[in-house]
Amino acid sequence: MGRKAAVAATATAVALVLASCSGGGGDDDGTDGGGGGGGSDPDATLHLALSQDVETLLPMDSNVGDNISVLDVVYDGLVRYDPKTTEPYNYVAESVETEDNTVWTIKIKPDLTFQNGEPVDADAFARAWNYAAYGPNAMANNYFFERIAGYDEMQGETDDEGNVTKEPEAETLSGLKVVDPQTLEVTLTGPFAGFATMLGYTGFFPIAQACLDDIEACAVQPIGNGPFQVEKWDQGVNLTAQRWEDYTLEETPEYGAIEWTEYTGEDNWPDFQAGNLDFAVPPPAEQQAAANDPDLQERYVEGPGAALTYLAFPLYKDGPWTDVEFRKAISLAVDRQGIIDALLPGQRVPADSWVVPDVVPGGTGGTCEWCTFDPEAAKAALEKAGGWPEGEKLTIHLGQDATEQELFKAVGDSIQETLGIPYELDATPDYFARRAARDFSGPFRANWFPDYPLNENYLAPVYASGDEKNGNVEFGYYSADFEAAVKAGDEAATLDEAVTQYQEAEKILATDFPTIPLFVAQNTDYYSENVSNVVLDPFSGEPKLRLLEVTNG
Amino acid sequence: MGRYILRRSLLGVATLLLVMFVLHLLTTFAIQLNGNPALAFFGDKVPTESQLAAVETRFGLDDPCYDQTGNPCLGPFVERLGQYAQGDFGTNLRGREVTDIVATAAPNTLKLFLVVTIVWFVLGMGLGTAAARRRDRSADHGIRLTSVLIDAFPIFVLLLVYRYVFAVPLNGWAEDTFGAGSLPALWFRPSFDDDHPWATLLVPGILLGLAGSAAFIRLVRASQLESYAGDHVRTARSRGLNERHVVTHHVIRNSAVPVVTAVGLTFTEALAGAVVTEGMMNIYGMGGVLWEAVRAADVALILGIVTILAAVTVVVMLVVDIAYAALDPRIRYA
Repeated sequence: MGRKAAVAATATAVALVLASCSGGGGDDDGTDGGGGGGGSDPDATLHLALSQDVETLLPMDSNVGDNISVLDVVYDGLVRYDPKTTEPYNYVAESVETEDNTVWTIKIKPDLTFQNGEPVDADAFARAWNYAAYGPNAMANNYFFERIAGYDEMQGETDDEGNVTKEPEAETLSGLKVVDPQTLEVTLTGPFAGFATMLGYTGFFPIAQACLDDIEACAVQPIGNGPFQVEKWDQGVNLTAQRWEDYTLEETPEYGAIEWTEYTGEDNWPDFQAGNLDFAVPPPAEQQAAANDPDLQERYVEGPGAALTYLAFPLYKDGPWTDVEFRKAISLAVDRQGIIDALLPGQRVPADSWVVPDVVPGGTGGTCEWCTFDPEAAKAALEKAGGWPEGEKLTIHLGQDATEQELFKAVGDSIQETLGIPYELDATPDYFARRAARDFSGPFRANWFPDYPLNENYLAPVYASGDEKNGNVEFGYYSADFEAAVKAGDEAATLDEAVTQYQEAEKILATDFPTIPLFVAQNTDYYSENVSNVVLDPFSGEPKLRLLEVTNG
Repeated sequence: MGRYILRRSLLGVATLLLVMFVLHLLTTFAIQLNGNPALAFFGDKVPTESQLAAVETRFGLDDPCYDQTGNPCLGPFVERLGQYAQGDFGTNLRGREVTDIVATAAPNTLKLFLVVTIVWFVLGMGLGTAAARRRDRSADHGIRLTSVLIDAFPIFVLLLVYRYVFAVPLNGWAEDTFGAGSLPALWFRPSFDDDHPWATLLVPGILLGLAGSAAFIRLVRASQLESYAGDHVRTARSRGLNERHVVTHHVIRNSAVPVVTAVGLTFTEALAGAVVTEGMMNIYGMGGVLWEAVRAADVALILGIVTILAAVTVVVMLVVDIAYAALDPRIRYA
């Protein structure tokens, strides 16, 4: 009874708020959500939530969903990504060309400026990239520049104690050459077909000289080249951006301003209900009520996410898991769909590939043959592998996230029920340190979130190490065939050919079966009546702000 | 009186140093045992040695003692004390000045505390006095029952129910009746709004005050009952003084000593409640900042904030001690 009353009260409240919204609106033409024909109100303000974790708005230092989503409207990159296919197309760049995938010539569109009037030219990119690549600056996006020649000379060396033993030899990337104000020539350490794809990532945005002169000021008051200009940022409280009137490129929304309110957690649902926010996700306890509200369901959007959760094995240690049949058995024993339905309906989908489908070029589902739940086949595979040693427990290591612990408890239960292998969870606070130190004595949870939309990014950074003896650091996998397939992709003549080659590399993983794909995140969001044309970005999980249409509430 | 204040002040400073040292040890051990916050900076990626070293330097965690479990890291502690002495509270992990963070966060917490304190006094003195005067009558029973009920609802339950059940409909009703952006609509906003701090802090402050008021009500009642039974009250009455004079001068003033002590103690409790309240109502205050700092193992920020909070607590305790002495002359000579 009490619950029903609460739901009814909530529904009434929403209705009241909506009534007051349309009552006070300016030229609301009532076509919200339907077909995207509503258009934007130039005076309208978009109200969004922002996590308080956002500490900086410096492109070179921003690598979490929230600041990426802010910077996406404050800065323009050389390329941008198609909202549907995630394929890159030139934006600030007029052309990005290469003959051998090693030396890339980037032509920049003329007459573009930063919001302070400085030109957006080859120097603007070179200064940002050099700053990010210089080791002692400790920028979050430092590692993105590993592929550019001269990166190693910009890193210092340290001993095991963490003391600096060698200062960096260079302060600029030798592989970056400003040919003329509109031309930047980039030399990579080796061929890489996907380089142009990387260029739309936040870490590759340009910065003005004034920004470099006062990095600390620029981190809180960015000087962008995008359609919105940061007006004021009260760190920890709120952030406002106004449309930049002198913006010359085409991709700019028509609404006037964006206001982000910072939240300590994710708990902003009541604010959405009260009409203070245009987007929100209900907390677990409210999800059912939201799902049963027909009015809210009309303003619900979901889309595939990019994060892949998988189970990895300490292949560097002796154990039953060094046998591929054992790994197969474990994979076949996990009832992915059942676990999701019971714990996180709608928020995850079962994974059956190593590259998440639909969010990056080359990602297709079903590449994992043994990712279905099949208890009989699982038992048969375990038998083939010689069974599980009597009296021992399977330890599954993971970090201390409460949701993930629930999820992996269910995974463990599923394995125990199907194969009769007793298990224990080891939720460790120093997960990253132990993983880096190869300190795991059983399978462990791992997660991958791609940095740029290319299937290669799910493969090479995780599985390729070039270290034949030890394999990759995390779980000790090495395959010469896999590395050769990745290399063939890197050297391919076109991006399409490269994508096909990388798919070959994924097939090798499907045979070697070093890790078990488990779950793929699903992005979901509810939106207010003030916004329409809502498309979720698979990477940040946030709505694509440049596509939104906003009217005054 | 002077010597008394001096003695209490010195004790306060010693307490403060002890708190800082214990806190330093705890955070240092947390880093040594739980792994370096610099590693979390890289998320799912495995950094190279030099990348890690660069981030450690940036975070101020490059002293090798942080890698040696059990090492108390006295060097960085002494260095930090020296900086504090010069008014430099350092920066958080990402280089934002701790003083800047406190300057933004502290006013909100202080506003919250002001509302809380007023609620305590109004409810505690009002209901406690009323209950004592009508001892064993239905008003007394009603007030005592209310205080038990208040105790049964911890602050997070109150806030949860308020936010999810009451705030949204009330906010909608107020917007309908008084207009969007009107004062009543702001009172019932489901979370804090920096543009209207007082209006949006009022209800959370009242709820937090309410949650802490039960102990007050009972304390005031008990200590006033003791006064009512005291010889001095009987004497005052027998001298023919009117009841109002007796209550205000001989009952309330004499029963104030334990109540003032309790303010000091409850203040620290309210600080704990503020962490919850600020977190749930999205108030950018000291509690919320501290919560985030602990989560991120942000040593400099934790130490900076707790040092400031501890200093405030020590000062409040000192003021309470002094007020105590002023209210009860016997205490000074004890």
